[in-house]
Amino acid sequence: MDIDQDYTKNIQISKKTLLIDKLKKWARLTPSYFILGIWSLFTAFTILWVTASSFKSNRQLFKETWKIPTELHFENYVKAWTTVKMGTYFINSTIVVLSALVIVLFISAPVAYILSRVKFKGNNLILTLFIAGIGIPVQLLYIPLFVIMTDLGINNTMFGLGLLYVVVSIPFTVFILTGFFGSIPKELEEAGVIDGCSDFQVYWKIMFPLATPGLITAAIFNFIWLWNEYQIALVFINNPDLRTLPLGLYALSNAMQYTGDWVGLMAGVVIIMVPTILLYVILSEKMIAGITMGSVK
Amino acid sequence: MKVRARMIVLFLLPATVLYLVFFIFPTIWAFYFSFFKWSGFGEAKNFIGLGNYLELMHDSMFWMSFRNTMKILFIGGFITFLVAFILTILINIGIRGKKFFRAMIFMPNVIATIALTTLWAFIYNPKFGLINSLFRFLGFETMEKFLFTSADHVFYAMLVALIWIQVGFMVVLFMAGMDKIPFEFYEAAKIEGATPLQMFFHITVPLMWDVITVGVVLWSIFALKVFEFPYAFHGIDPPPQIYTIGIYLYVMGFGKRNPIYRLGYATAIGVLLLLAVIIVIVLLRKIMQRDLYQY
Repeated sequence: MDIDQDYTKNIQISKKTLLIDKLKKWARLTPSYFILGIWSLFTAFTILWVTASSFKSNRQLFKETWKIPTELHFENYVKAWTTVKMGTYFINSTIVVLSALVIVLFISAPVAYILSRVKFKGNNLILTLFIAGIGIPVQLLYIPLFVIMTDLGINNTMFGLGLLYVVVSIPFTVFILTGFFGSIPKELEEAGVIDGCSDFQVYWKIMFPLATPGLITAAIFNFIWLWNEYQIALVFINNPDLRTLPLGLYALSNAMQYTGDWVGLMAGVVIIMVPTILLYVILSEKMIAGITMGSVK
Repeated sequence: MKVRARMIVLFLLPATVLYLVFFIFPTIWAFYFSFFKWSGFGEAKNFIGLGNYLELMHDSMFWMSFRNTMKILFIGGFITFLVAFILTILINIGIRGKKFFRAMIFMPNVIATIALTTLWAFIYNPKFGLINSLFRFLGFETMEKFLFTSADHVFYAMLVALIWIQVGFMVVLFMAGMDKIPFEFYEAAKIEGATPLQMFFHITVPLMWDVITVGVVLWSIFALKVFEFPYAFHGIDPPPQIYTIGIYLYVMGFGKRNPIYRLGYATAIGVLLLLAVIIVIVLLRKIMQRDLYQY
């Protein structure tokens, strides 16, 4: 009997301390939840507000700024897609960005492979030269590139813009892939050689597939920055029909000063945001791993 | 061995050729152009030696752009790092939903600059914007009509938005750095009676010094060449109060609404910008140099 009482008493005490511990933990964590919550809410709210506004009419936007739209004005999107040509820009962006993406991966991966795994004279110098590109301000290149591109007859063309996108993406891509190839165990390569693979086969059949996670990370990064890029396009694209999506949206937001069509602009913003946000929602862990991969050993 | 050499060349060739022709060569060529007075593509170039650089020294608009860039680098950098550290600690303190909060804070980094400037145009809009509406709601009548985007305030209005974006990047970086510090270190320090602040400065900072260094270098490069966000922040005609070195270069080289085409002058600005990047990186390597703690 006594033992039983002691037992329940003990349980009560430990329950009590548990409760205090829990309260203490809450007191410690509440400021975290509060501040992080407000920060996240602010970001989510601005994005949701733009999305909600893109379905309103202009009158509704000004009169009922904070209300959820009562009727959905899909015509904002139809107008943005056709009249303001966001549809054309969307296709331009897709073609330029995807082709630049594929090419930059296919030419940078071999460079990263050689520089990280094959020792030869000048290896470090070449790697330094590539990585230095991360620090060189792209603005410095505008005028010399303008001359070169005009001489080659590819200024103000989609091909020219795609070529520049490939070139400016090389330094970062080589940097991130060098780290990745460097981390693949040497034994796998040697096993390939023992099995009678030629050097080329070792690369294509063993190393390239093993580097797939790194290639995917590099692809996501390049896709997002190229999809959103507008300063290079601003300098090298003059023909309104060749605009990329960011450049088109830039023109649209400038024209807005005269048209006052806020909801049309909001529809444009949603059109440009959807692909990268979708990609981010699906692959955010991969992206975040990418930042870490290059910079944290 | 011969096969090896052939493979090295073949693998390096495509990217290296493109990179040399369209990146390294233009960089070097830019130095040459900066010695000329040159007022349009297809026009004749006049050699004026260091003339462009001498003119820049007395160009008040250039110095304004320079000061703005420095403000972004130092003031913006300080606040970004401070906020990012605070948020990282708040996330790492043992809450649920770590990944969710990190993902939300990083989110602006995946959205197009032009979309972000539009978001902020709404936040700062004096008539129906988020902040002014909040003032109205709270009854701050004097603040209700405050114009964040007026020439006097536009720079700091822009800087706040820029920090909001960049904090996300630094949080991701810092979290990765903090995650690899063994938990036992903090437990041991706690037993010894260390305060949280002491633990931060004596454990966290030294053990993630390499990550902090990477962050500082990346921030410096970003801040010195920043163009897109400030340029688009105020619509088609950004006021000089918001100019950065990169923007001033673009305006001198290509003009805003009306072309300017001071090509030699613009290139000289670019050369100074490159020198600034080099100087800052060399200085940082000296300042940030510490013996890494091995553990």
